[in-house]
Amino acid sequence: MIEELRKDFVKNTTQIIVSDTESRVLQSDNNILSIPTGNYLTSVHPFFYTISNLLEEPLDENYFYCVQIENLGKNYFFDIKTKIYRKSGQVALFLIDFTEHYKSVHKIKQARNESIIDFNIAQELNNELQVQRGFKNKFLANVSHEIRTPLNSIVGFIQVLQNTGLNREQLDLVNIVKSSSENLKSIVNDLLDISKIEAGRLEIKNKRFNLHLLLDELVKAHQIQAEEKRITFQFERGESLPRFIVLDRLRLNQVLVNLLDNAIKYTQVGNITFSVTTPSKNRRKIPIVFEVKDTGIGIDAENVTTIFESFTQLEKRGLFGGTGLGLSIVKQLSELMEGKIEVESVKGKGSIFRFTVEAGVSHDQKAEKKLRSRTSKSKESKNSKYRVLLGEDIEVNQLLLMRIFADHPDYSLDIAKNGEHVLKLLDHYKYDLILMDLTMPIMDGFDATARIRNHKNKHISKIPIIALSARCSDEDIEESKEVGMNGYLIKPIDERELFQTMEKLIQRYKRKGQGVS
Amino acid sequence: MSVSKKIVLLGHFGVGKSSLLRRFVEDTFSENYIVTIGVHIMKKEVSIAGEQVTLIIWDVEGTDDFTKYRPSYLMGAASFIYVFDASREVTYSDLKYNLEHLSEKYPHVPVHIIGNKVDLVDANILQENLLSQNIKPDYLSSAKTGENVEQLFENVAAQVLKND
Ligand SMILES: Nc1nc2c(ncn2[C@@H]2O[C@H](COP(=O)(O)OP(=O)(O)OP(=O)(O)O)[C@@H](O)[C@H]2O)c(=O)[nH]1
Ligand SMILES: [Mg+2]
Repeated sequence: MIEELRKDFVKNTTQIIVSDTESRVLQSDNNILSIPTGNYLTSVHPFFYTISNLLEEPLDENYFYCVQIENLGKNYFFDIKTKIYRKSGQVALFLIDFTEHYKSVHKIKQARNESIIDFNIAQELNNELQVQRGFKNKFLANVSHEIRTPLNSIVGFIQVLQNTGLNREQLDLVNIVKSSSENLKSIVNDLLDISKIEAGRLEIKNKRFNLHLLLDELVKAHQIQAEEKRITFQFERGESLPRFIVLDRLRLNQVLVNLLDNAIKYTQVGNITFSVTTPSKNRRKIPIVFEVKDTGIGIDAENVTTIFESFTQLEKRGLFGGTGLGLSIVKQLSELMEGKIEVESVKGKGSIFRFTVEAGVSHDQKAEKKLRSRTSKSKESKNSKYRVLLGEDIEVNQLLLMRIFADHPDYSLDIAKNGEHVLKLLDHYKYDLILMDLTMPIMDGFDATARIRNHKNKHISKIPIIALSARCSDEDIEESKEVGMNGYLIKPIDERELFQTMEKLIQRYKRKGQGVS
Repeated sequence: MSVSKKIVLLGHFGVGKSSLLRRFVEDTFSENYIVTIGVHIMKKEVSIAGEQVTLIIWDVEGTDDFTKYRPSYLMGAASFIYVFDASREVTYSDLKYNLEHLSEKYPHVPVHIIGNKVDLVDANILQENLLSQNIKPDYLSSAKTGENVEQLFENVAAQVLKND
């Protein structure tokens, strides 16, 4: 019985062929492939060209797994063992048919490879998006800085112009120019905010403030705007809304102004309801819900998910102006404040924008302090290795350095307006290095450095200081050394030189434990 | 009998090894991905400057770990063609490492580096990417459009004959 089975099994699954080293068939049992004696195996399948290589191999026996061989329209998967008899110049080939087994292997590998490739492609797309985003940020920052300077002078001179004894008509025209340039200015500021947020350079500063007062101011301003358009503006204040809360007042205001401005802008008839509520006030931290409901043009279901992305300007909304940046800022600010922004909208009926944020309730200063110490910084500065303080009065220069620092996530940058401000910040925060402009109002860089070097706190008195100056007079350089500065860089600042110098000084400062000299 | 030379296609899976071979031998292309397991071998005769050579091309199952290649698949090769997918960085980010392995184990076998699927990518971005990783492919190809496919195999054949 066994013998019979063995014979059967061998007959169905294996083939033995003997050839010479040129692949001419000497013998074959033809169990699977039928190959006449005297034929070349290479004419059956190109795999058999391998035979001519076998002589050069060190081993007599070789194994080739999972070789695909097509023969007479059928596809086989063989494991093939070869054995060479060097003396007689003969080669034995054992073909073992594993077609069924390898077919199931194929299925598994097909599924695996496809899913890995899909994942790769998704990753690749994501990388591309990141690159684009980085590019967009830099572009935004550049453009907005470039625009801001001339714009400031336009706004300034319009004010001067207004006071030059113009006649009625001229005054009307100037007023139009004024309001347009103010609009433009707020757009540019929005752009700058976005690039700052996305580069992780916007800080949230939680402080105790009077929420009722803020709301009253907002309501008053928007009621007037609504009246001008003949729409009703209603305000509902929840009963248990606390008077004092701990939150970033500036950013909360920015979010609410954006939402309320939008509601008025996009509503032609009907009313706007602004409500602020909280479920309870007997806790240290409470969620506050700000809701702005309008009867405006509404948003398509398909657009609802994209309206918070920067540069999204719904086509229809384009009619009413605006850059579509406001909502993007709202979204990003709300994330920085760890809040949530939601929208419900029916096209043609109106929209509800809801901003929910947790605020500290502060009756006493202690709670406030606790919250303040948890003040969150935006993403990158949190992870920065080195904290640098810049003393610089000119805004363009501040922005320029911010822009340079934005590309170096290992460094975060704080800004002080003058020498006195530098000293104040040093008392509150720990820095690794100071970049000091030499000419500043109130207290210049020399004076500030001299005071720092005389500071009673060792960590502060030894901190590395680099002078930044547009002048490169020998006297200045000499004096900067005398007061105890550790380096002197000339503007315009060379980015590489700046970071090399900073790295060197900071390393030295850290190594010595407390200071450089 | 003309000379025959074994060429092996290497690279991550899904980079288009089988597609390049099919384009070269049969001048066809399919968008369907059918995974190669083990090895699939095809031959094609080419004549280079009047000299005939039969290329025996081993299309080996793709892998990202070249140390896993079965030695019997690579034995006796006159040349390796290392294919990567220009649209997926993972298929070339480890190229240096894999090349080192090959030059250690097969010091005398020349390697040709091919960036395939160029029809899917922006040429400038690809160039920048490759440059930043110091990768210099011998050819950028597309099995889909046929771009550079014949050229790359003929280039391999010519080199193989020269080394003979
Ligand atoms: N657009 C485009 N797609 C290609 C090209 N080459 C191959 N493809 C596609 O890429 C997928 C994989 O191609 P294959 O040739 O099977 O890849 P492979 O390297 O043999 O993969 P494995 O056998 O698993 O190692 C298939 O869907 C092909 O249609 C190309 O040049 N352009
Ligand atoms: Mg394949």
